[in-house]
Amino acid sequence: MIITYLRRIKWFIALVLIQVLVLNNVHIAGFATPYIYIYLILKMSSGTSRSEMMLWGFFLGLTIDMFSDTPGMNAAATTFIAFIRPLFLRLFSMRDSTDEYVPAIKAIGVSPFVKYVILCVLLHHTALLMIESFSLFDLSTLLIKIGSSTVVTVLCIMGIEGLRK
Amino acid sequence: MRNLLNFLIKYYYWFLFFLLEIISFTLLFRFNHYQKSSFFTSSNAVAGEIYKIKGDVTSYFYLKEANEDLLDRNMLLEQQLANLRKELQGRGVDSLDIDGMNDQIAKNSNLIKANVINSSLIKADNYITLDKGSNDGVHSEMGVIDRNGVVGIVYMTTPKYSVVISMLNTKCRIGCKILGSGYFGTIKWEGRDSRYAYLDDLPRHAKFGLGDTIVTSGYSDVFPAGIMVGTVDHIGNSKDGLSYQLKVRLATDFGKLNSVRVLPKATQMEQKLLEESANKQEQ
Repeated sequence: MIITYLRRIKWFIALVLIQVLVLNNVHIAGFATPYIYIYLILKMSSGTSRSEMMLWGFFLGLTIDMFSDTPGMNAAATTFIAFIRPLFLRLFSMRDSTDEYVPAIKAIGVSPFVKYVILCVLLHHTALLMIESFSLFDLSTLLIKIGSSTVVTVLCIMGIEGLRK
Repeated sequence: MRNLLNFLIKYYYWFLFFLLEIISFTLLFRFNHYQKSSFFTSSNAVAGEIYKIKGDVTSYFYLKEANEDLLDRNMLLEQQLANLRKELQGRGVDSLDIDGMNDQIAKNSNLIKANVINSSLIKADNYITLDKGSNDGVHSEMGVIDRNGVVGIVYMTTPKYSVVISMLNTKCRIGCKILGSGYFGTIKWEGRDSRYAYLDDLPRHAKFGLGDTIVTSGYSDVFPAGIMVGTVDHIGNSKDGLSYQLKVRLATDFGKLNSVRVLPKATQMEQKLLEESANKQEQ
């Protein structure tokens, strides 16, 4: 139990630092920015309760917000994704048994896992970038940003996933 | 009653969800309206410290360019100085008086030097974090410039760090005029490209050309008159068709911000006092 928490905190710090020091400065073609910090939420064990996950998501988002001067934006989007995640996981993993597992290619198969990651990332980016563009609404730019950022983030997450094996 | 309790226990994560979202949005909208939430920004101690370390490392990457820029500028200023000296001597001013002027300048320049430790470019509202705060004399609504031109306006400060509203922010509006002709308007950023901003409200009868220099008008008390903002890149019409809207190529390269200067408030205080006393005399 404690080991799980320690490991989570380690990932929390590592992901926040990577996000704010490196990835927030990446703007491929002026549009695409990877937001890989939600990897922490995506990889939480299936047995984690919804409220626990939402609290992790909220504080993760809030920490990112502090660094990027966007109070509330990342927190709102990440809480949302933590809230909706169990639904997606149930949708894509065809498991009969009720034992706990960590979402991964090995655990639920290649195609369900990729679909699960894509859907979560897409939803998170849509929420985040829509909140951001409150003050400056421009539909075509918004759609390009959401699309390109989703592609880059999914690639990054699959990259981390591949490296961790 | 028991059913209600069961219901609450079963679905309490819904309440938690809404609670967290409400907190998030409160923070978001509070930040936009008030200047008191500096704890949740990059000017708080932990974020500031981490960004400072990052800034210390990355500033080395730009040393060469910064050095070249400074050399160019130094050469230009030296040339100007030599010309002015010659001119003054031609008019029969004593060389001792000229040296006396130098001392005066040294006394008057109390610009605050600061380093950019974090900045963003492509968000709808961009902010810059500086490594100087209220302990160093930085206060909100002070103007910030770098060696090329206007950067932004200080938004909020903590003792050691401060957050600046960059020109690349929908909230930022700066009064500008065209150098030479004196026609003025407000410059604002409209998103997307960090190299361009738009100058609005220029009257139809104003005369100007592509490449004209845009400088601050000095009508507000944040920037003194005549600080470089950019050059006219394209001439267009405003949305209502009643005035010109100029596309301005910004002089400041926001992608390479490094060391900036904060304009002190002393002159602003003086101007305010002067305006107040003028108002009193009128009454």
